[in-house]
Amino acid sequence: MKYLAIIFSLTAAILITACGNLEKDINLDLPVYESQYVVECYLEPGQPFSLLLTKSVPYFEPFPENPLDFVESILVDSAKVVISHSGKDYVLDNGVFFHPFTKKLFNYSNADLVPGGHDNDFSLKIITPDGKTITATTHILPVVPIDSVVVEYESEADTLARVLTYLTDDPATKDYYRRMLHHNSLDSIPDQDFTTFDDFVDDNKIVFGSGFDYAVGDTVFTTIFHIDRAYFDFWESTFNAINANSNPFGQPSSIISNLSGDANALGIFTGLSYDRVAVVIEK
Amino acid sequence: MFSKQLLPVLFFFSLGVLKAQTTITLSGTVSDGESGETLIGATIYAPASGNGTATNEYGFYSLALPAGNDSVAIEFSYVGFQSNTLKILAKTDVVQNVQLVTGIQLQEVVVQASTYREQIRSTEMSVEEVSTREVKVIPALLGETDILKTIQLKPGIPSGSEGTTGLYVRGGGGDQNLIVLDEAVVYNANHLFGFFSTFNTDAIKDLKLYKGGFPAQYGGRLSSVIDVRMKEGNNRSYHGTGGIGLITSRLTLEGPIEKEKSSFIVSGRRTYADLITRKINKANADNVDYNPIPDYYFYDLNTKVNFTLSEKDRLYLSGYFGRDVFGFDGDFFEFNFNWGNVTGTARWNHVFSPKLFHNLTLTYSDYEYNIETKVTGFSFKIGSSVKDANLKSDFYYALNNDHTLRFGSYVTRHQFGVGRLKASSDDGTVSFSGGNDFNAASMGAYIADEISAGVHWKLNAGLRLSGFVNAGKFYGGAEPRLAAVYNVNPNLSFKGSYARMYQYLHLVSTSGIALPTDIWYPSGRQIKPQNSDQVALGLEYLLGNNYLITNEYYYKRMGRQVDFVDGARLFANDNLEDEFAIGRGYGYGMELGIEKQEGKLKGWLGYTLALVRRTEFKPVDESRVFSGEGNPYFPRYDRRHDLSLVLMYDLSRRLTISGTAVYGSGDRTWLPVGRFTFQDVHGADFQPIVPVFGARNDFRLPYFFRADAGLVYRFFPKWGESDLTLSVFNATNRRNAFFLYLEPQYAEGVDPLEDPLAIPEGVAAKQVSLFPILGSLTWTFKF
Repeated sequence: MKYLAIIFSLTAAILITACGNLEKDINLDLPVYESQYVVECYLEPGQPFSLLLTKSVPYFEPFPENPLDFVESILVDSAKVVISHSGKDYVLDNGVFFHPFTKKLFNYSNADLVPGGHDNDFSLKIITPDGKTITATTHILPVVPIDSVVVEYESEADTLARVLTYLTDDPATKDYYRRMLHHNSLDSIPDQDFTTFDDFVDDNKIVFGSGFDYAVGDTVFTTIFHIDRAYFDFWESTFNAINANSNPFGQPSSIISNLSGDANALGIFTGLSYDRVAVVIEK
Repeated sequence: MFSKQLLPVLFFFSLGVLKAQTTITLSGTVSDGESGETLIGATIYAPASGNGTATNEYGFYSLALPAGNDSVAIEFSYVGFQSNTLKILAKTDVVQNVQLVTGIQLQEVVVQASTYREQIRSTEMSVEEVSTREVKVIPALLGETDILKTIQLKPGIPSGSEGTTGLYVRGGGGDQNLIVLDEAVVYNANHLFGFFSTFNTDAIKDLKLYKGGFPAQYGGRLSSVIDVRMKEGNNRSYHGTGGIGLITSRLTLEGPIEKEKSSFIVSGRRTYADLITRKINKANADNVDYNPIPDYYFYDLNTKVNFTLSEKDRLYLSGYFGRDVFGFDGDFFEFNFNWGNVTGTARWNHVFSPKLFHNLTLTYSDYEYNIETKVTGFSFKIGSSVKDANLKSDFYYALNNDHTLRFGSYVTRHQFGVGRLKASSDDGTVSFSGGNDFNAASMGAYIADEISAGVHWKLNAGLRLSGFVNAGKFYGGAEPRLAAVYNVNPNLSFKGSYARMYQYLHLVSTSGIALPTDIWYPSGRQIKPQNSDQVALGLEYLLGNNYLITNEYYYKRMGRQVDFVDGARLFANDNLEDEFAIGRGYGYGMELGIEKQEGKLKGWLGYTLALVRRTEFKPVDESRVFSGEGNPYFPRYDRRHDLSLVLMYDLSRRLTISGTAVYGSGDRTWLPVGRFTFQDVHGADFQPIVPVFGARNDFRLPYFFRADAGLVYRFFPKWGESDLTLSVFNATNRRNAFFLYLEPQYAEGVDPLEDPLAIPEGVAAKQVSLFPILGSLTWTFKF
C-alpha cells in the first residue's frame, strides 16, 4: 500500500497551500496501561541458547537519559527459563550476554548449542519473578537455499547494478519467508526487510529484486529466512503496529505472539533458518 | 418465516378492495417551462377536497378526485417555481401536463407552504434532499461544488474524514449506502480519496437521501439510499454551461434533438494539475537531481438523451464514465494506476392508463481499478472489478383516492473480479498469479400500498422479498416496510416508520478514507448477508409559512456486521474471507432540523445526537486475532453531537452570500497505550518503540469545527449569464485533527536512520490537520 501513501502525500501537498503548519504537538491523556513481559528467543542451530526477557511500559513513560540505564530499565531478571527439546532441558542462566558479532544483547543464555534437525519441537517455559508462567512451542524449519544471485546492469554503459535473488519454493507446503538485503554491512539498516508467503507462486521459482543502486566494489548481502506462520504473524503485527502509528492508511494491530500462560506476555519463540549470500558487485 | 410478516401487509392491501367511490383521475407530468426538464416531487393539490400528491421520479403524477360536474381548482407548485392553479372539470379522467416557470418573490411563500404541507401529509420521513441550485451557492473545498458534500450538512449524515465525501448515516458504515445514478449503482462515488465525488454538479438535477423509512422499491444496503438524478437536457433551446476553477474545468452542452420531444445533454469535467506538472517536469528534464512529479488527473463524462415517443411513452438513455489516472514513467520504473466507474441506464416509461405508470429499466454498472508496474525485465499487474447488469420493472398504480400501489421486480447479474494478480519476468522464468472471480445474482420483488385512512391517517405498507446467490449458496429474506403519518392539522404531523434491510455485498476496507482499492465482496459460503431493523418516530411542523421543523428519533439494530481482523491483508489475498470478523451493532439518536427553502434568506440548521456501537465480533478464521474479541467498541465515526448551519442570502439579483458552520464531536481513534523495545535478529533494524495498542477506538479526537464562507457575483452579458464564485474553506483557519500519531523524539544530532541503535529521549503526541484556510475563485458561464 506504499504507493497509496505516496499518492495521498502528493495530493495533500497539492491541496495544501503553504499556509502555516498543519502539524502540532498536543497533550494526550492515555488510558492506564499495565506493563507486560516481552520475550524474544530465536533458536539458531549451532548457536548458544539465548533469550531476551524485557517488559513493556506505558507509552509516555520517560526514557532514562543514559542508554545503559534505558537497557537496565527494561530488562527483567530473576526469571526461571527452561527450553526443552528431545527430552532434554536446557536451563538458561540470567546475566548480560552480548554477542559481539551480531551486536545483540540477551539476558538469559545457555552455552549449549542449539541442536539441528527439524523433527522435534522445542518448548519454552518461563516462570517470571512474580510467579507467572509463559510457555511456547516451536520447531526449526529447513533452510530454503538461495539458488542464485544475479547482478544486472540496465545497459553496458550504466554504473549501477541491481541484484536478483532466486530460490525454489516447495509447492506442496505453504511457506513464509523473510527477506533482507544489506549494502556493505549486516550491521547497517537494511535496504529491504519484509515478510512474504508463497500463495501466488505459479510454479516453484521465486525472485527477489532490488533497485539499480549498487556500484562496482559494493558488497550486497542477500538473506532469505524460512519462517513459520507464528513468526510471520508476530513480525507483521509488530510492523503493522509501528506503521499504523504514523500512517493514516495503517491498520492498528495487536501484537500477535505465540506465547501462552497467565503472564499475558508479548513476543516470539521461534527457530531461525536462513541462507545468506554475499556478492561483490563487478562490472 | 414469511407468513407472519406477510399477514399485516396483505391486510392493508385488502382495504383497497373494500372501499371504493366514484372518482376521476387527473394525471400527467409537471415540467420546467423553460427547459422542459421534468420536476421530481412537484406538488399537486386540490384545496376543495384536500387531496394531494407529488410527481414521481419521472415527473409523472396521478391524482384521484371525487367525480362531479363542477370545475375543481388544482394547484401545481414546486420550490423555486411560480405555482400554477388550473380549473379541471372533474367529470371524466383528465390528462394535464403542466409547465411551471421560475418563481417570483411574491409567490414564494405560497409555494413553499404548499410544498411543505404536502411533505407533512406524506408518509415519507427520514428523507433529505438537495438540489444543484443550493449546491452551487454553498462554499466548497477549492471551489469544487459537490452534491455529496452538501448532503453531509443535513442532520443525521455525518461525513467521514474532513473534506471527503464519506457518509456514515445513523451509525451505519461507509459501505452501507446505496448510491444510484439514474438507477444504476455507483460502487465507488469518489475521486482522489473521496475529496471529490463522481457527481459533476452541472450534470445533476437533484439528490434524495433516505436515512430510514425506506420505500419498498429500495434495498441492498442497510443505512441509506442516495438517489441521484441526471438532468435530461433542455428540449426547447440549445445552451451551454461551463466553468474554470482551481481544480477542474467543465463544459456542458444541452438542447433539443426534436423540439419539445427529445433532448440531449453532454457534460464533462477534468482536472488539469497534470498539464502544469508535465511542463515543470519538461523544464527540469536536464536536471539530474530533479525528481519528476507523477501525473495525476481525473475526468467525468455524463451523457443523456431522452425521447418522447408518444403521449404515453418516453425513453431515456444515460451514461456516466469517469476515471482517475495516476502515472509515473521513470528510467527503470513505469507505474500506471487507474480507477473509475462506468454506468449506463436505459429506461422506458409507459403510461398504461391515467392510473397506471410503468418504468422498465436496464442498467449497467462497472467499477474497477488496475495497477500496472514495469521494472526492467519484470511486470506486475493487479486489479479488481465489480460489474452489474440489472433489469427491473416498476409499476405505479393510483388505484383510487385512498390507495396508491407501487410494485415491481428486478434481477441483477454481478461479476466480481477480486485481487486479480499477474506478475512475471520477461524471460518467463518467474511467474506469480492470483485472484478470485465470482459470478453472483440477486433478484427480488416488492409491493407497497400508500393508504389514506380518513382525514388524519395515512399508511404505507410494503414488503420486499430479496435473494442473492453466489458460489452455490442462496440467501434470501423478507423485508417488511411500514410508514405511517398522523396529520394533526395541515401544519403538524407525527410520523413513524419501520424498515428491515438486507445487504448482500460488503466493502473490503479498513481505512477511513475512500481508497480506489476498496473492493466489494459478495456474500458466499462463509460470509452471510448483513441485516438491519430500523424504527423511527418523528414530527414535522410548519412554523408560519416558511420554516419546516423536523424532529426524529431512531433506533437501528444491525446484524452480521463486517469488520476485519488485526493485521488484515486486504490487498492481494486469495482467501479474503479469512480476514473478515463478523459481529453486530446498534445505533440510536435524535435529529432536529429547521429549514427554509425560499425567500432572500434560505438555509437550514441541523442537530444530531447519536450513539453507535459494535459488539460481539469474532474472526471468521478462528486462528486469527480480533482485538477485544466479543467486547463492545465504538466505530470510528461515532459522532455524539453534530451541528450544522447553512445560510444563503440573496443580497441582490447579482449578489448572493453564503456561509456554513459545522461542529461535531471528535471521531474515534485507536491509539497505543504502551510500548516495548524490539531487538529483532541480526541484520534487522533495532526498534526502540513498538506501540502496544489499547482497546479498539477507545480515544476520541478533539472536537471538529469548520466555518466556510462564499460569495457569488453574477453578470448578465448579452450572450447569457456568468458568475464569479469566491469560496473560503475553513474561514477560521482552525486545525481540525485528521489523525494523531506518537513520535519518538531524539536528542539533537542523533539520527535514527544513521544510528541503528539510537534511543529516543521521549515521545511526543502530534496532531495532523489537512486543511488550513483555503480560498478559491471559480468562473462559471451559461449561454
